[in-house]
Amino acid sequence: MTDPARAAIDQEILAWMRESEWRRDDDRFQRLALKLFAFQFERCAPYRRFCEGRGRTPDAVGSWREIPAVPTGAFKELDLRCFPAEETVHRFRTSGTSMSVRGVLLLDTLELYETSLLPAFRRFLLPDLAADERVRIVALAPSPAKAPDSSLTHMFAAAIREFGESGSDFYAANGEREADPLLRELEDAAARETPLLLCGAAFALVHLLDEMQRRGVTLRLPDSARVMETGGFKGRSREVSRSDLYARVHRSLGVPPARTVNQYGMTELGSQFYDSVLRFPDEVRRKLPPPWTRVAIVDPDTGEPAAPGQSGVITIVDLANTGSVLALQTEDLGRRVGDGFEVIGREPGAEARGCSIAADALLSGPAA
Amino acid sequence: MLDCRGRTALGPGGVTPEEIAEKVDGLREAGSRLRRRPARETLAILGRIVDTWRDPNSPWRRSLVSELPEATGFSRPLVVEGAHRGFETWSRAAMDGLLARELGHPAALDSTAHRMVSGFETHSVVLAGQVPMPTVLAMIAPLMLRSPVLAKPSSRDPVTPKLVARSVSETDAELGHCLEIASFPGSDRACSRALVEADCVVAMGSDASVAGIRALVSPGCRLVSYGHRVSVAALGSTATHGRALACSAEGLALDIALWDQLGCLSPIAVYVIGPGLEAADRVADALADSLGRLASRLPRGRVEPAAAARTSHERAEAEMRLAAGRPIALHIGDGWTVVRESDATVRPSPLHRFVRVHPVQDEAGLLDALGPLGPHLAAVALAGFGGQERRLARGLADLGVSRLCRPGAMQSPPFDWHHDGTPLLTPIARFTDLEPPGPSDTA
Repeated sequence: MTDPARAAIDQEILAWMRESEWRRDDDRFQRLALKLFAFQFERCAPYRRFCEGRGRTPDAVGSWREIPAVPTGAFKELDLRCFPAEETVHRFRTSGTSMSVRGVLLLDTLELYETSLLPAFRRFLLPDLAADERVRIVALAPSPAKAPDSSLTHMFAAAIREFGESGSDFYAANGEREADPLLRELEDAAARETPLLLCGAAFALVHLLDEMQRRGVTLRLPDSARVMETGGFKGRSREVSRSDLYARVHRSLGVPPARTVNQYGMTELGSQFYDSVLRFPDEVRRKLPPPWTRVAIVDPDTGEPAAPGQSGVITIVDLANTGSVLALQTEDLGRRVGDGFEVIGREPGAEARGCSIAADALLSGPAA
Repeated sequence: MLDCRGRTALGPGGVTPEEIAEKVDGLREAGSRLRRRPARETLAILGRIVDTWRDPNSPWRRSLVSELPEATGFSRPLVVEGAHRGFETWSRAAMDGLLARELGHPAALDSTAHRMVSGFETHSVVLAGQVPMPTVLAMIAPLMLRSPVLAKPSSRDPVTPKLVARSVSETDAELGHCLEIASFPGSDRACSRALVEADCVVAMGSDASVAGIRALVSPGCRLVSYGHRVSVAALGSTATHGRALACSAEGLALDIALWDQLGCLSPIAVYVIGPGLEAADRVADALADSLGRLASRLPRGRVEPAAAARTSHERAEAEMRLAAGRPIALHIGDGWTVVRESDATVRPSPLHRFVRVHPVQDEAGLLDALGPLGPHLAAVALAGFGGQERRLARGLADLGVSRLCRPGAMQSPPFDWHHDGTPLLTPIARFTDLEPPGPSDTA
């Protein structure tokens, strides 16, 4: 990184991420968000013109809520970066099908990305582990060698490096022979009492459960086991509701819904959001943002914050995104729940209002 | 969950699997009585029913206008106009034409001649969406073949099936016994399984919904499916100037606004033939003007948060591309959006009056651009192609387009159009060919 202004901002944000206690500090967030917005407005020309088009320049913006949010779809079309192209060290690509365009997040450093992901991973997935304790991580994802541009794979690799005991690894769940090593690993885990984290994309978990059902296999993983799933089913050959998925996980693996965590994240974001169930098992399930992020639920018609309890578009301001844009408008609906939020997905099989269909749905043919 | 009689308890959606089975048994008996009546008598009754659905003053049309807006979210003026346009081609004569074209002659239903036509003993139909005309047609078409019908309404439109049932039973009580409604959530597999016990099943809906039904039907069942479709428009050079442009834009704006672009005959994109962006810009400007004018006459209806979110996202995405210097144009109004794209790449369409205008170099470019949509294309509105139109029509037909029409006529398909490229009656009919007597038949 050659930009001293950016380096200074990164250092402030990294310092916050490295603090052992998570403290919500609105003034600190506001100050850093506005500073980062001004920086990105200056360095990222498409974003600057986008903001100018909305009359939202750094002089006119007084709150993080007013920072114009870029739609995640823009990453499919544009290089949204605040550094020279030649300083790009890593590209993460969104998942996609052969017919759809994939979005790209360009990074000139992985430091913020990893410094953000690790404390959240630990806090919400491994809250019961002692400081020096490690966990067997079984990642249902392609390895970094096979998927160097997958942010999910990168996240799992970082987690295995930081928290995984030896033997933690990546496994394929799709295919008869490919699933053999995975099932052997899970059978071994069922016979041990050591903590286990089974994690992966939701559709990969479905593949595993399908394969177990086909073989007539059920397991009872240790009580300390936990499951993390992420992502939806868009473009997949079939959809499974989250409640059905969790029930199947319980039946086939012996891990109850109370120990199954959904992660809400996306390639375009440096930070992730986890269900609170492992950290706060007696409280309502919700996603709790790291202190260096803010999540707004926005009325899509007015652009204003949705009324309490009402659903709206999930809009995220993430200070980990120093090299791209910090404010993102997602395609997802959510609702505020206490000090967190929940993601409202469309129920699988829900009828469309008409017999027409959005062209993106037509173009996202089954991927796997 | 069982009730006190040991039957599956009634779910929030309505019927139980046992009740569906009872309905099917009742329909079987009613169908048997119906088939003892001459076909011409049944067809005369259905002809009267079709005529009354065309009549805006009929009780059914009045009820449709009063009840559908609340149930579906469509604005009342939109339902009035959409029903007027959608039912205007409906008549007894049109129905007779359909029967003659598909069955040879309606008498084939009673005939003992060399080609005999029968309906199935029982017929069920899984309805989808909330545009009323396909629902009405799907429910009365089997009756033309004297097949009794069990209909599962779309969760989005509980109104139209109920009105169809009333229109039939109040016109002829016996025919009314041949039409039953079974409401239950699509996720209720036990009810779905009971529904598809019929001898013939028509499934309408998303590809996933249709696949779900397909997995349930028994091998001996006739399954006819109608999946999701999209429509587009294409304007040749003579339709992009002056009065012709104004006419095309007004017509397309109406096609887009009716049913809030949610029908399979609603255009999601307009392709403009010509070099550069000028013609596409003229079309986008004119379309934006027309959509703006229509917004007060035919107000957009309720938009659910998920749909509003998609629209918001696509608008912002276009704004972002514009900011990045991409040569596109964006017109945003109150409840409508026009994006003039810089090329023919297919992009997401959030519906609800969101249309993209794509420039294409020539007719070959148009066919290339539509290639990815081919299996899902329903109608294409064409104007301004002059002598090239027939050749273009041939190319579009080869892509799988099932209807070609003029701008402004997309929501008024002929009564007998080939929905999804297939006939209406023959897929749900049984044909019997009686071959001539052989030597062994003669003494």
